[in-house]
Amino acid sequence: MQVALRGLWGRKLRTVLTALSIVLGTSMITGTFILRDQINNAFSDIFHESNKGIDVVLSKKTAFTTDSGAVAGPLPESVIATAKTADGVEKAEGQIQATGSIVVDGKYVTGSGGAPNLVFSYVTEPFSNSQFISGQPPDEGTVAINQKLANDEHLKTGDKVKLATDKGAVPVTISGVFKLAGVSSIGGATLVVPTFSDAQQWYDRVGKTSVVYLQAQDGVSPSELKSNVQAVVPDDVKVQTGTENADEQTSQVEGSTNFITYILLAFAGAAVFVGLFIIFNTYSITVAQRMREFAMLRTLGASRRQVLRSVLIEAALMGLVASLIGIGFGILLAVGLNALFKAAGVDLPTAAISIPFVWSVLLPLGVGLGAALVASIAPALKATRVPPIAALREGFVLPAGRLAPYVPYIGVAVAALGVAMIAFAIRSGGGGTQVLLTMAAGAIIAFLGVAMLSRLLIVPIAAVLGAVLELALRVWRFLGGVRDRIPVVGPLLRRVGYGLTLGYVWVGLITTLIVLAILRGGISTGTLIGIAIVLSFGSTFVLVLWERRPREWPWDASSPTAGVLARENTSRNPGRTAVTSAALMIGVALIVFVAVFVNGFKDSFLGAIDRSITSDMIIQGQNFQSIPAPVVEAAGKVPGVQTASGIQFTEAKINNGGTDTVNGVDPATFSNVYKFDWLDGGSDKLLHDLGPDQALIEEQFAKSHDLSPGDTFNLTSIDDNKLHLTVAGEYKDPNLMTGLIIPSRTLDTFAPGAKDPQIVLVSFEPGPAGAQAQKAITQALKSFPSAKVQTNAQYKKDAEDFVNSLLMLLYILLAMCLIISLIGIVNTLALSVFERTREIGMLRAVGMTRRQLRRVIRYESTITAIIGGIFGICVGLLFGWIVAQGLADQGLVFVVPYSQLFGFLIVATIFGVLAAILPARRAAKLNVLEALQYE
Amino acid sequence: MTEHHSEPNAAVEAFDITRTYGVGDTAVEALRGVSLTIPTGQFTAVMGPSGSGKSTLMHILAGLDLPTTGRVSIAGNDITTMSDTQLTQLRRDHIGFIFQFFNLLPMLTAEENILLPLRLAGENVDQTWANEIIDQVGLGDRRKHRPSELSGGQQQRVAIARALASRPTVMFADEPTGNLDSATSGEILNLLRTMVTTYGQTTVMVTHDANAAAMADRVLFLADGQIVRDQGRSEASDVLAAMAEVSAL
Repeated sequence: MQVALRGLWGRKLRTVLTALSIVLGTSMITGTFILRDQINNAFSDIFHESNKGIDVVLSKKTAFTTDSGAVAGPLPESVIATAKTADGVEKAEGQIQATGSIVVDGKYVTGSGGAPNLVFSYVTEPFSNSQFISGQPPDEGTVAINQKLANDEHLKTGDKVKLATDKGAVPVTISGVFKLAGVSSIGGATLVVPTFSDAQQWYDRVGKTSVVYLQAQDGVSPSELKSNVQAVVPDDVKVQTGTENADEQTSQVEGSTNFITYILLAFAGAAVFVGLFIIFNTYSITVAQRMREFAMLRTLGASRRQVLRSVLIEAALMGLVASLIGIGFGILLAVGLNALFKAAGVDLPTAAISIPFVWSVLLPLGVGLGAALVASIAPALKATRVPPIAALREGFVLPAGRLAPYVPYIGVAVAALGVAMIAFAIRSGGGGTQVLLTMAAGAIIAFLGVAMLSRLLIVPIAAVLGAVLELALRVWRFLGGVRDRIPVVGPLLRRVGYGLTLGYVWVGLITTLIVLAILRGGISTGTLIGIAIVLSFGSTFVLVLWERRPREWPWDASSPTAGVLARENTSRNPGRTAVTSAALMIGVALIVFVAVFVNGFKDSFLGAIDRSITSDMIIQGQNFQSIPAPVVEAAGKVPGVQTASGIQFTEAKINNGGTDTVNGVDPATFSNVYKFDWLDGGSDKLLHDLGPDQALIEEQFAKSHDLSPGDTFNLTSIDDNKLHLTVAGEYKDPNLMTGLIIPSRTLDTFAPGAKDPQIVLVSFEPGPAGAQAQKAITQALKSFPSAKVQTNAQYKKDAEDFVNSLLMLLYILLAMCLIISLIGIVNTLALSVFERTREIGMLRAVGMTRRQLRRVIRYESTITAIIGGIFGICVGLLFGWIVAQGLADQGLVFVVPYSQLFGFLIVATIFGVLAAILPARRAAKLNVLEALQYE
Repeated sequence: MTEHHSEPNAAVEAFDITRTYGVGDTAVEALRGVSLTIPTGQFTAVMGPSGSGKSTLMHILAGLDLPTTGRVSIAGNDITTMSDTQLTQLRRDHIGFIFQFFNLLPMLTAEENILLPLRLAGENVDQTWANEIIDQVGLGDRRKHRPSELSGGQQQRVAIARALASRPTVMFADEPTGNLDSATSGEILNLLRTMVTTYGQTTVMVTHDANAAAMADRVLFLADGQIVRDQGRSEASDVLAAMAEVSAL
């Protein structure tokens, strides 16, 4: 135990670096769980607070639960009166709930961060949960708005604005500004509150109500009231107590926070996995370096078991301390993120930070400790094999294990197994947890296998990279020679070159540029090169002015030998290089996979738009909300418009099995704006003649439900309405119109909550009339500010931007893995430098300058990093290819994002250069004499 | 400070050098005023008991360390005021090293090891010269072997060839036979002697071995940081006697 403690203390730097890989992973776990609990608690507080005055809530009963956004239609208004007849009702009031927002200066106001735009009609005390901070509740023609909306748009009581409604933009006056359950906005959402009857008018709910709130008479408990009301209202009305309602709302939010939690945990898991490689490598090297010490312990009478224990205890202590620090950082992270959300305007009600002990303390502790132990067990076993005699002999080398020669071949088998698991999982279809877990396990196994087999490939790859490097250095030297022979210009060039000697400044700039380019997903290569050139010449110019003393180019002093030495250094212990580069490989592979997958998804989606949508313009709602149904008619009336046809979506249960998407279109017009890829029995004519009890089905839907034209099936909507449909035809469209298609008129009654289209396609008449229409349509739809009118190109650009921002988020999360692998390279290099102290002394003695020494280490690091990058790209592409093959019939295409891959490789190279900074500096600082005498 | 005048024929000169390690009570004076001239073409052996300062002297003469006071000039260049890079370049151009533990790079072949200093200097390799010394040290058929495939004697031959490759002004050998058996030691010493005789290679060798010292043109004895004896070519028995005398001081 004491030996272990001393061991840790004696190797501070490497311990800190190794521990860092655990710290990062565990802090992410802790942070994630704290944040999850905090968000859930906050929403739970809000929902319970806002249901406080409500004893019983009535709403439309749903046939199934879903998170696709399909909602049940409203209740008839008569339910309010019916409910009042129940025993023990003190007060009953209806509320209309819809989506919409105000329009300021002709602009539709969206919430922050994609939060919804809600319209809830006013309810009186005790149902209301709003506290007016100015003005008063709405009257006819006026609305109250939440405080954040008022602040953001600089609105106050008495201001006149417009409200986007199903009837078009309606002028309204602001009656007052309120807080909700104590906060200015719930999660950034906007809330507009009109009167009940205005809301009925504006949102096409005349004679309807979305929900009914009931207050019990004194002495009647909510649950008593609930059963009383249940007795009088129709069967399709859901009756809940206020608490039940709050719980249900909370669990809906929890559903989505859980989803985010799993994603974040997956990234934390990846970080810990990369950390395993680093711990393994560090301990392997350390054990090799400490052989004398172990042998000495053995001569002093320590048993193998004691040696094993001392290494494992050291690792466990490191894991423990690192996890504890990680937990601490995680708590800080959660606090920081909270502040960030607030700054970004996503105002979460600040529930006090609570730390869920099991998830955010015990779990990361276990993970950190487990990772340290698992990764150090093999090196620890190796330490036990050191014989006492090693203490007495200079340069004792442990004989390789019996299995060692077979490791690469085992690696091939393991990698194949992993890849097979992924392929199997993806083939078995669906996106269930089971499938995802199998895929993750397959990926882990494949990574391990590749790490094992890569040992075989290190030497040849290093040889090739070394040769390239040597060639480049020779060319540089040659060019330097040529340059110096040019009169006047030569010395000038030499001087300019000094700007480039500030290599690290360069590396920083270029990294920033590339990261920016990748994140933005679309700076053209030309622009990028342009910026690089401007920056380089700009800064060089400044430096030339600033620095009077002429300096040499960074390559002037270079000799190709540095390249040779670097190559040989990476090849002399291929196992070590393999594990070091494997850590980087994982990060790069995940990034490449994400890039391939997301780009494939994007391309298949955009390709499908090009193939299928034949309209000239696309109208969609703000914030992915639906478009008021009258928009279709309004757009159709614009002169020059040939067809305006909407698409409605809902989700419905098929027979008694799962749910799928149901698309509602107008059979008469839809084929004018959409081109189908008809299969068995389908045709445009069939669509045109589609009857109210007929459906067209998509190929995948047909397969999974085993249906073909002529078959019949049952559909149940979320409102529990039933349809009995006959398959009229089949088409293939795995990207846009999945599931099935029924006439919109059938859908309107089947799922009243989906009566508004999500997308409207508009095609123009040929000739000049059509050209006019483009301007006219935007003008004509001014009264529907929630409708976003775009050309197909704009629509595609929007979709692309959305996907790119998603990609950016994933890259940022994956950057964690890269940073950890960077630490791994630093660690391995530092240990190698330490190991080669005497060699470095000799090199310096026979004439290697500090600069040359730094260069050798930098090259070595770069070669290792590039190997990791190459492996990562190969593995990532392989994963991406498998998944794309597996999902090919669901429309996913395999796309190789060449320019991004190139960018990743450059980033890996730069990582190599960065990783070498500290170890190289350390090596260069070594005193020649001391290094020579070092044992 | 007195003005010193370099002798035109000197490879290395030291003027009244001292070297102190540490400060205050723990300060150790390794050299206390050593002046010496190594003429070109001479084979000098440096002897002395442990702690006499002979290694320190060699390190300073070779530009690996700087004296606390005094002045050292190598091939006419005063090293006392040089920067690390200048010193490195000086070593590269003027100094050859042979170490007790050979200190070869394990991943390079014999020939690559030999040419390493030249390559580091970025100079073009004079292949004729390289071939000649490789033959001279008797490694003609081993040039593609790696150090792990060579015996100790062969490794030291590689080290000698490496030291000679850049035709240094002076070659330093630090206990070159310290890690070899007596038969191999003899071969290595003969080789060193041949290099001095054939090429006029100035050589300074630190050694414990009287037989080694007996190969030299001149034997210096150090004790307590000072040169206590400076004699010409000596028999091994004379060297041993002198050593005994010196150690008894």
